[in-house]
Amino acid sequence: MKCVLGGGEVFAHVARLFGEEALGAVEGYTPVYCFGVFTEVYLLKEPLLGAVELVMRSGRVPYFAGLYAGRLRSSRPAFIPSHILVEKIYRHLGRLVRAVRGSEAGIKAVLYGRDLLAESATSCYEPVELGDVLSVVGPDGRVYAVGLSRISSCEELGRLGRTDTVVKTVFDLGWYLRGGTVPREVKYRL
Amino acid sequence: MAGRATSLDWSEVSASYSRLLEEVGRRMRSSVDLRAEELASRFGYLTYMVIRYREILGGLDEVVELLEAFERPLPKTIRVNTLRFGRVDEVVERLERLGYAFSKVPWERFSYVVERSGRVSLGATHEFLLGGYYLYRGSASLIPPLVLEPRESDRVLDAAAAPGGKCTHIAQLMDNRGLIVATDVSRERFRALRTNLERMGVENTVAIRMDCRRVPELFGEYFAKALLDAPCTGEGIIQLDPTRKTKTTFEDLLSAHRRQVELLVATLRAVAPGGRVVYSTCSIAPEENEFTVAEAVARLEGVRVVKPEVGVDLDPGVTEYFGVELPRELRLCGRTYPHRQGLEGFFVCVLEKVGG
Repeated sequence: MKCVLGGGEVFAHVARLFGEEALGAVEGYTPVYCFGVFTEVYLLKEPLLGAVELVMRSGRVPYFAGLYAGRLRSSRPAFIPSHILVEKIYRHLGRLVRAVRGSEAGIKAVLYGRDLLAESATSCYEPVELGDVLSVVGPDGRVYAVGLSRISSCEELGRLGRTDTVVKTVFDLGWYLRGGTVPREVKYRL
Repeated sequence: MAGRATSLDWSEVSASYSRLLEEVGRRMRSSVDLRAEELASRFGYLTYMVIRYREILGGLDEVVELLEAFERPLPKTIRVNTLRFGRVDEVVERLERLGYAFSKVPWERFSYVVERSGRVSLGATHEFLLGGYYLYRGSASLIPPLVLEPRESDRVLDAAAAPGGKCTHIAQLMDNRGLIVATDVSRERFRALRTNLERMGVENTVAIRMDCRRVPELFGEYFAKALLDAPCTGEGIIQLDPTRKTKTTFEDLLSAHRRQVELLVATLRAVAPGGRVVYSTCSIAPEENEFTVAEAVARLEGVRVVKPEVGVDLDPGVTEYFGVELPRELRLCGRTYPHRQGLEGFFVCVLEKVGG
């Protein structure tokens, strides 16, 4: 495993997915990219930089540092943001984007690792792109899952059958119960 | 019970700790009597443990109270995580709608004792998954982060951080500012640490899987504060794991003591002059607590014991044990017992490095 401090790739993904305004949510953070089985991205505030540099200079790598931003991939979607980052961005923007709000029953199913179906989608927030990141938000406004969109626009939602998939879940919070401590951290099911 | 008193100051302790603990072992074995054996048998303990509890508490009547308290379940406690939910009330209200009832922990502003369980297990609610709270099996674990008194600008070391209850608490007290370096060696426990840091929205922590004994060579005296919640025999949480009544021998205790001394010395070395170290265990064994602190302090110059400031009426540290006297300063350390404070058996000691 190797980690590299600095580089703007993650910010480019944030701007592409959530708009330039979303960059305000990650202002002042320095990314660190750790390459192992996956490429994990962490965002560090200034007080953490010195410690991470010391660790890396000694030939070690941090196991976890700062804000976990998500995972970079070589194929589409190129970046899967963590639910923590997505929620931080929504808080900063004061609105939802790239999101589907789910009913209570739909959220329950998602937390068992299932996909969000049309019958459980109560509202939708553009932009939405087929095959790209879409978050699942609960009735309380919290992000419960991040997944891949099966629709290319919110308009399409009305044309789906009840049991058609809207979001293919990639990571859901139920993972913290199901697999939070298992050896292989295949949190993102891709 | 108590034979010839053996009194030592700090410097003598360092050279003599193994002799002292051997002496404790000899005196302990010679203190066995029928009443202690009967009590041990009635509650299912090894006899040597009951003998030690009598020595710590002063009489068998109170030992019975302790052993009876160890038979009662500990009330669960939650610490609401303001890093993920801005309002403490919001989480409490959401859980109350699930049927839970709480009473406030009077000495910790974010924490509540569970008085009545709700429809969904506390480890599986949406609020838990959203990082709304950390679940404790007793309240005493809330004490070490409080007496560490971390400030938002501090560099803090959490030397045995997994699974992360105290680390996430420290992060909350620092409002996600400053720096926490969290170390632990166990691969399995480290995954739990990562999960908890992520779930609880902690942003000010760098987690490194390493033995904390190597921290000083990597960081030098980098930290203003450090917590060592040391791996221990768990002799204070028998309510949670009754197998502990019989699984630890006196030799196991001595082995734990030696390891804890090494960990504490390293933790002290990683802190800058003027800095503070909190040492804690979920054990009531003086071998793992006062003897560990005494030896670590004796090995280093310029470390003093400071009374912990927390809203719990802590019992003082043990300074006489089977006729062996430890430095009086150790009275400033704090202890909790289930039959006295209603908390799990716990030990906490605040140390300060002179200078800075």
